[in-house]
Amino acid sequence: MQKIMIIEDDPAIREELALILENEGYTPLVITEFTDVPSQAVQERPNLILLDIGLPGKDGFSLCAALGKAVPAPVIFVTSRDAGMDEVRALSLGGDDYITKPYSIPVLLARIKAVLRRSFGEPEPSDVLDAVGLRLSLTKGVVSANGKAVELTRNELQILACLMVHAGQIVSRADLIDTLWDNQIYIDDNTLSVNMTRLRGKLAEIGLPDAIKTRRGMGYQL
Amino acid sequence: MTFWEFLSDRLGRLLLLLLCTGLAALFLFATGTQSGILAVLLLFLSMNVLDFFQQRSRLLELKTILDGLDQKYLFTECASPPKNLYERQLFDLTRRAGRAMTGAVSNAQAAQREYREYVEQWVHEIKAPITAARLICRDLDGETRRKLTAELAQIEANIERALFYARAENPEQDCLLRQVNLEKIAVQAVENHRSLLIQSGIQVQTEGLGRTVYTDEKWAVFILGQLLQNAARYRGEAPVITISARPLGKQVQLTVTDNGIGIPAHELPRVFERGFTGSNGRKRGGRGPAGGSTGMGLYLCRKLSGFLELGLEVASEEGKGTTVTLTFPAREELPSLKKG
Repeated sequence: MQKIMIIEDDPAIREELALILENEGYTPLVITEFTDVPSQAVQERPNLILLDIGLPGKDGFSLCAALGKAVPAPVIFVTSRDAGMDEVRALSLGGDDYITKPYSIPVLLARIKAVLRRSFGEPEPSDVLDAVGLRLSLTKGVVSANGKAVELTRNELQILACLMVHAGQIVSRADLIDTLWDNQIYIDDNTLSVNMTRLRGKLAEIGLPDAIKTRRGMGYQL
Repeated sequence: MTFWEFLSDRLGRLLLLLLCTGLAALFLFATGTQSGILAVLLLFLSMNVLDFFQQRSRLLELKTILDGLDQKYLFTECASPPKNLYERQLFDLTRRAGRAMTGAVSNAQAAQREYREYVEQWVHEIKAPITAARLICRDLDGETRRKLTAELAQIEANIERALFYARAENPEQDCLLRQVNLEKIAVQAVENHRSLLIQSGIQVQTEGLGRTVYTDEKWAVFILGQLLQNAARYRGEAPVITISARPLGKQVQLTVTDNGIGIPAHELPRVFERGFTGSNGRKRGGRGPAGGSTGMGLYLCRKLSGFLELGLEVASEEGKGTTVTLTFPAREELPSLKKG
């Protein structure tokens, strides 16, 4: 499991952040003493460091330089100061990314994943999803079952991918819309219905007309 | 100062002089020295004409100095030294008045700077609890989480406006012109206001955003965000927002088009005014995800776009929708970029 060190002076933020990172399968390392952070980092050997710029006593910029000497881990700056110069300074000091508060959690997680992948050459996430007899190729945008295959549009692909990741669970329409917006598909409720109808039509073509069940008042289930 | 103004200003003195000269001429005439009359009259005339030109050139000199000054209240410090006793006294008085003014101005400037600094600091402080609240929201179930996130987003949007309002007073400090991808700006702006947009049932379409422009990313995101908020607030049936870009010579035009309720033609010229909410704003008053018109959004957009050399135009048809066009300048048009 990858260790992520959280250097943040606001207790509420660092505890919630630790919880979220734990849920995502990382090991969070929470720093509560800001006196000698570099030596703590040397002891714990994190794979990634989330660093708040506005720390008590020492500012994050100089800390970043000290951390860079102590451990090879990549650093993501997390800050509420969003002046353009700060970002330039952070990146020139060896920061690997720069996120301003208040961030949305999917964005933060995506950045963490990206930085980890860049730094450790992690394998790309699997291109193929398998669930309930369906096989979905994400890069090709093709779903296949029973030896038959059909091409999907970008919207249909994201909807099906979301349902397949949560196979067996109920996914609400609002969650589906959220996921689509995460992927820069900015559709409304009606368009979701249209896309859902088309997706079901395509699944019927490959012999699975009832793969997606409607759970009235709750959402959809694969 | 014209010659006539000069004459009417000294009417009394001139009349007295005229009377004396007349009497002198009469006396000279009576004693029989004709050429003497001419000389006296000429003397009288030339004295006044000389006076006039002297005064005029002095005034002109002072005026040029004043025109050349950026801070007009520093005039007495820069003007050439007074030429006679009367002028010196006047100068002293003006200088004293000027000093009092300079003091008042620098006090006001210091107060304003401190205020701005405090606003910025406050904005950064308030972001920590909002971030914490957002993270805590994550544990809640779907509907409550969505509602709370939307309210938090609304708080953030208002804070953001306050921050940029403070920044607009002193833009040099954090305006950083760089090459930015339009898509990045649009994605960020949509992301910032996604709760509002999703709750308003809006569909956002993008076209041709794969271009780069020269601007400050954060400011551009803010401006675009204001336009998106307006489009959401004044939406109609089946709302769609289209964000599209196209080149215009070396410039790039970004248009934000909605199919909302539009702006009445007679209110269009006033939409950029500070505090102007219009009949739409009043109709859709109140709060909630789409309520609460402040009349600040477009005012700030206009102010910030001035610093970014960004063209900003609004066209609208009532009941049909509104189109806002942002024209990003070509690289050559940004002097600060050339230097850097």
